[in-house]
Amino acid sequence: MHFEIQYRPTHSLAIAHLEPGESVRAEASAMVSMTRNLDITTDGPMGGRGGLLKSFKRAMLGGETFFTNTFRARGTPGHVTLAPTLSGDMLAVELGPGEPLYIQGSSYVAAPDSVDIDTRWQGLKGFFSGESLFFLEATGSGPVLVNAFGAIEQFDLDGEVIVDTGHLVAFGAGIEYEVTKASRGWIASYLSGEGLVLRMSGRGRIYLQSRNPNEYGQAVGSELPPRQG
Amino acid sequence: MRHEILDAPHFGMLELTLDAGEKVVAESGAMVAMGPAVAVETKMRGGFLAAAKRKLLGGESIFQNTFTASAAGQKLYLAPPVEGDLVMRELAPGETFFLQSGNYLAHVGEQLVLDTQWGGVRSFFGGIGFFMLKVVGPGTLFYASYGAIHEVAVGAGGYTCDTGHIVGFSSGLEYKVRPFAGFKGLFFSGEGLVCDFEGRGALFVQTRKAPSLAAFLHPFRPVQQRGDN
Repeated sequence: MHFEIQYRPTHSLAIAHLEPGESVRAEASAMVSMTRNLDITTDGPMGGRGGLLKSFKRAMLGGETFFTNTFRARGTPGHVTLAPTLSGDMLAVELGPGEPLYIQGSSYVAAPDSVDIDTRWQGLKGFFSGESLFFLEATGSGPVLVNAFGAIEQFDLDGEVIVDTGHLVAFGAGIEYEVTKASRGWIASYLSGEGLVLRMSGRGRIYLQSRNPNEYGQAVGSELPPRQG
Repeated sequence: MRHEILDAPHFGMLELTLDAGEKVVAESGAMVAMGPAVAVETKMRGGFLAAAKRKLLGGESIFQNTFTASAAGQKLYLAPPVEGDLVMRELAPGETFFLQSGNYLAHVGEQLVLDTQWGGVRSFFGGIGFFMLKVVGPGTLFYASYGAIHEVAVGAGGYTCDTGHIVGFSSGLEYKVRPFAGFKGLFFSGEGLVCDFEGRGALFVQTRKAPSLAAFLHPFRPVQQRGDN
């Protein structure tokens, strides 16, 4: 299984190439098109990988769609193409044994079976910011496909940095973080528009997105006619 | 008539240079700018019944604009509503191309035939589906995409595409619409309808789709409380 990413960076499309018998597990709404020789299983409350509780935990905590689809090639090579909702780039991050990647829930797109995806509970603090503060932990070996709203900027941290939660795509092992206020007081933090931030420290790679989906939703969505409450 | 596609693939815009007596038909709302010797005539193309059918079935505007130049070297600029690519397709006499109706931008050629066709499935919950324009040459067709356009050469194995990601396809392909991953998939897997293609031909896929963006923005809409006015 390997990912090929085309039309970068603005309107990226990922092609997951599958050899016979290989599979890829993708976030449910990401499928664009596929060859006809793929068997599809939907992982949700009806069963499937991990069963109800695990899917529910992923959906509620990870900001991930409730369901994932597994595409498996039978007989001949095949492919499935995947795209995110918003404009922006995608990246396949290669995991090695013992090198987990922590992915912001809504940035995860797909991974092969050799990569396990689990959720880390970040605590209730996250609810105050209105931003999702939940990460999926990807372990194993192989590529993990992530998407960004806008461009992806990556840098290697050696020290400390403060990152807005809505701009974080993923980060590697070796980085510790704590959720903190952007300004000194709670009121100033709220007024600054920055809400909660992550104080990240250690050594490892950090992937950022140049736009914040939550800010975009508020800027555009608030101009739309009201919906029924 | 000369044409040039500007600013593709991200923000495609069509520049046409018309001589006296030359005509272009375009989707209403597509005009960006034009020369002083271009006259616009707004018509229900094909008469009231055909226009009403297009409006009801295809969601297209009832009205289309015909631009006619009365002097040489008149410029006309046309643009689609969403960001993405813009391409031209020349159709030989009798050659057929299927275009998703929302992707139509403009055409040249009095003999070009555009007919709306419904592709979908009827279910217990009513009909769901999408609308294709069957375009028959001779003539020149201009169409646009949301995101990039990804071309797939469909061959012996067939191919499947999310209906919202279809831009168009050449003749030689037969298509059948079905809910993704069975009816269970329609509600649970996050994807709606897909099109199965058989035969040989070219399929054009867009890498983003408008309904996903609308679904993303929906939760950000202001909420009208019951009883509020």
